[in-house]
Amino acid sequence: MKTYGTEPGAPTPVQVGISELVVSDGDDTLKSYGLGSCLAIALYDPNSEIGGLAHVMLPDGDAADNSDRKPGKYADTAIRALLRRMVEQGANYTAVEAKIAGGSDMFEFESFGDGVGQRNIAAAKTELEKLGVPLEGEDVGGEHGRTVEFTPGTGTLTVKTADGDNGVTEL
Amino acid sequence: MKLDVNALGTFYRMAREGAGIAAGRLTHMLDVETKVGVTKLNFMRGEEIRREFEDSTDKVGVRVKLTGGIEGYSVVVFERENALRIVETLLAEAGPDADVDTDVSDLDGFDEMTESAATEVGHIMNSGFIDGWADVLETVIDVSTPEFVEGKTAEPFFGDIDEAPVEDDLALLFQSRIETVGTEVGFNHYLFPKRESMSKLLERLRTSEGIEYDKLDGFDRMAERGAEEVAKTATTLTGIDTSVDIRRLNFVSLEAIPEQVADEKLVGVAFEFDGMPSGYLLFLFDEESAHEIVDAMVPMEIDEEGFGEMGTSAIKELGNIMASGFLDGWANVLDTTIDHSTPEFIHDIGAAAVDPVIIQLGENQDYAFVFDTVVVADGREFDCEVYAIPDESDLERALNNLDVDRIEEAPTTAEFQEVDNT
Repeated sequence: MKTYGTEPGAPTPVQVGISELVVSDGDDTLKSYGLGSCLAIALYDPNSEIGGLAHVMLPDGDAADNSDRKPGKYADTAIRALLRRMVEQGANYTAVEAKIAGGSDMFEFESFGDGVGQRNIAAAKTELEKLGVPLEGEDVGGEHGRTVEFTPGTGTLTVKTADGDNGVTEL
Repeated sequence: MKLDVNALGTFYRMAREGAGIAAGRLTHMLDVETKVGVTKLNFMRGEEIRREFEDSTDKVGVRVKLTGGIEGYSVVVFERENALRIVETLLAEAGPDADVDTDVSDLDGFDEMTESAATEVGHIMNSGFIDGWADVLETVIDVSTPEFVEGKTAEPFFGDIDEAPVEDDLALLFQSRIETVGTEVGFNHYLFPKRESMSKLLERLRTSEGIEYDKLDGFDRMAERGAEEVAKTATTLTGIDTSVDIRRLNFVSLEAIPEQVADEKLVGVAFEFDGMPSGYLLFLFDEESAHEIVDAMVPMEIDEEGFGEMGTSAIKELGNIMASGFLDGWANVLDTTIDHSTPEFIHDIGAAAVDPVIIQLGENQDYAFVFDTVVVADGREFDCEVYAIPDESDLERALNNLDVDRIEEAPTTAEFQEVDNT
């Protein structure tokens, strides 16, 4: 493929925007920028090296009427859609593991109630439990933003905060 | 002319669809990966469009006139250098068989051949957008032969288009950006629809009572004064001479709002406001600007890590007074009270400060009107982005209650003058 100005061989990470989900395999990198109260949900099958990343915004898709069109917007429907697409590509349901990051509560606004971040975390955990997918790692909550990078092949979810090199966690 | 969220939502989908098709065709043509950047429905006044356009880079454009389902002009605008690079790639791919001089890198300008290649690319892009719109609207749109335009200012591009708004007119403008992945080659696309054609479409797509366009226009005029007020407040409090650089009213999907924020660590002050309308207000500074502000507002040297207590409270104070300046204007024109919360300070990745707000609004709406303002200072670091995002149903009700005649009379409370700034 011909590109202008970029070094060959360095694959560009696939950006997973808000409400999006992407399934991929091997050494591909999936990336979500600047999560505040949004939650990144990474699922992967360590054997087939198939995995996916969702960047969800709200907890409950079953209660929303547009979750068919936008499953990636909600924690519950995103997890199911990721699983389904991974299995379609050859992943083994029973081997799939999960990692999550994000769900901060950045502001204490009255209108935010119990915290929009917390609700996303709780919804994701409930759905994973319901589907029997073990949660292998998490970096959630707090009051700070996160950028995540996920490699399906290794199942590594790298979480960066705004603190530069000090703020890197590998899950 | 009346509009509602459903009609604007359809326009937004239409813009995304068109941008997607155009990006796909660019990928096909150049054999490079492309992506659709920001897609927006902007409500902008003529002078704002011109100001945004005139960033002193050389540009080339390809424009076509539309008739049928949508009437108006569709214009693709490349930075001149980018257009030359694209043409270079295309002609190089035409390869040794083609009897052309493929080395255009040392070309000073467009000759007949490169101009026609650029026109072709532009036309294919325009057609991509138009095909997308026609699909979403399920209608037929006729396209004129493309016209090649070159220049630095908005004049040669939009000057002779009747549909382009004159200085003070609020026009609905469709704007998209398409970029090749990992490179700086991209272009902007503008659609200037004819007012009558737009009005007819809105009428067809509208599913609710909707908002009178004149009221939106009136409210935007008031927001313009709110923005001026913010700049004045900043000048008074910091002594840095600031002015409003860009100001527009966007209609975007909620997800697109954080994407618009710079992908770096920013300093911000956030508020929730409550009344008719309620919503959220954010002021975001880059780190350098924030330091400059603290230096200007805090007389002693601060020897703390980051912004420390003094710096944080200075920025919160500035934000608080700017918020009052911004919202008092709204409240006065709407003849109501709008209360705002105490300021919340953040120093974090920009998008992370915006996503809690869109999550909260996302419970009940998919799109938002965003009052988007950039305040800058001449010759000094002061970049402040202001996002005011009202709750959609509140905004609709507030606008319907708006008495347009009040706008010129209502004062924007200059509360900052009462602040002891010695």
